[in-house]
Amino acid sequence: MPRISKNAIVEGTAQLAPDVVVGPFSYVGPEARIGPGCVLENNVTVVGRTTLGAGTHVFPLAVVGAAPPGSESAGQCILGEANAVREHVTVYAGADRPTRIGNHNLVMIASQIGAGVWIGDHGIFDNCTQIGPGADLEDYVRMSGFASVAAGVRVGAYSFVAGYAGIESDAPPYAMLQGYPTRVRGVNSRNLKACGFGKEDIQALKAAFRELFNGRGYKVNREALLRLADDPTANRHVRRLVAALQAAAKHGDAPDE
Amino acid sequence: MNDVAVLQEIDPAAYIAPDAVVGPYCVIGPHVTIGPGTILRRRVTVLGRTSVGSGNVFEDGCVLGAIPQDLKYGGGQTLLMIGHRNRFGREATAHVGTEAGGFLTRIGNDNILMDGSHVAHDCYVDDRVTLGRHVLLAGHIRIHTGAVIDDLSGLHHFVTIGRYASVGPHTPVRRDVPPFCDYRSLDHDWAGPPAVRGPHEAGIRAAGLGADEERELRYALRELFDDESALQTKIEQLVNMGVEGEAAALCEFCNRSLQGVYGRYREKFRGEKPPEARHFLPRDGAFDTRRNMP
Repeated sequence: MPRISKNAIVEGTAQLAPDVVVGPFSYVGPEARIGPGCVLENNVTVVGRTTLGAGTHVFPLAVVGAAPPGSESAGQCILGEANAVREHVTVYAGADRPTRIGNHNLVMIASQIGAGVWIGDHGIFDNCTQIGPGADLEDYVRMSGFASVAAGVRVGAYSFVAGYAGIESDAPPYAMLQGYPTRVRGVNSRNLKACGFGKEDIQALKAAFRELFNGRGYKVNREALLRLADDPTANRHVRRLVAALQAAAKHGDAPDE
Repeated sequence: MNDVAVLQEIDPAAYIAPDAVVGPYCVIGPHVTIGPGTILRRRVTVLGRTSVGSGNVFEDGCVLGAIPQDLKYGGGQTLLMIGHRNRFGREATAHVGTEAGGFLTRIGNDNILMDGSHVAHDCYVDDRVTLGRHVLLAGHIRIHTGAVIDDLSGLHHFVTIGRYASVGPHTPVRRDVPPFCDYRSLDHDWAGPPAVRGPHEAGIRAAGLGADEERELRYALRELFDDESALQTKIEQLVNMGVEGEAAALCEFCNRSLQGVYGRYREKFRGEKPPEARHFLPRDGAFDTRRNMP
């Protein structure tokens, strides 16, 4: 039996795994599905068509699956396994595109995750980060305090977004992004090392970043991009970087020129 | 007490002083101590091993003593100590310490923490400090007495804010802010680097210095921060002149910051117990929140 506080409200049609804990004054809506090992602390609100994967921990006063302002239809929100949703966080549910959060993410206090956002695995989102509706964040993205991502923008894997940065167009993977307007400051080598990247990979990425972004901030050197795209011997991470930059150029609003 | 049934969930093991006021939808965990005259408004959550002194006010939605947002935290019995007469705005949060950072987060007396401000694990906030709205303290920070931090400022891990210093609004603080200094970005150009922009006049008034001490402090502040030349030599000059009191403390503070990593003195305590933890924690390691009561 789930351990539900006598002061919590769990709607009859909500599906709860047998070992779920629901704290006092929490509300679990009728279409919510809560996986095994989930802990909802006190004053938590889970509404909409929301699925919480195994081992998700939702802290006091967080709201998961809220309808975004101005929309009335209950959207869908899917969280993977072992995520931590900290105090005062709001995760909005997407109506046409479900909000998807992968596994092992840490969403810190007072962050807001917009409707239809896709987040990969192992992300860390510091306090008060704002992720606009429809943004797409790949694995291992780390965002510092007050950083924001505009609506519909893609942030590449292993990127680090410094505090107060505002990402307004697609950001490359493996990058350190800082400032407003945001600039590429180099390779996020510390995070890459922690994720088990070898020295060779990091050196290759550093060389590619020097060619592509040297002194140009966010602007990509087109000739270097074409040259690297045609290089069959390029490192596989460099190829991924090049592919991401080419896709960003096609996305339309990339400030590459 | 009024006669309306108040919904709240207080663990029977928690100690709450008889004249403390706990509002509706508050949740209080088993290892919590709440001192006399403290008011918890609505939906205030107090978890973890947290001791709250007397005369504090916690507005709606505060969460105190939740586990730290630090991946290295291993579930240890770490503490949050809050002193007396502090005012916490709506949705202010404070976390307990971590094992690696010295087991303790401490907030002193007479502080004002405005709406949404956050005190992270292993921070030490002294007395009469003002944190503006949504001020974020990262972990392991020390804020000395009388400092004022304006709205939406974010502080990096291991930063120290000196006595009666001020930090401007919306300012990323990545290095130590010396005492009695005003640290902000120029003309709200917050893309540019923030820096010391002069003395913090209100802080100097609040500290109530003697006329000679104030003159010497102002002289030291001018000497140190009016031009961009190397700080180290200017500190040495002032020390050789034989400055005393607050001016000498200012020189010592700047010297320690220069010795640290990226201008952050407390970086040297990365992964070890800082001196404050040794000072404030009971020596026998008994984490009994009840003992911290007056």
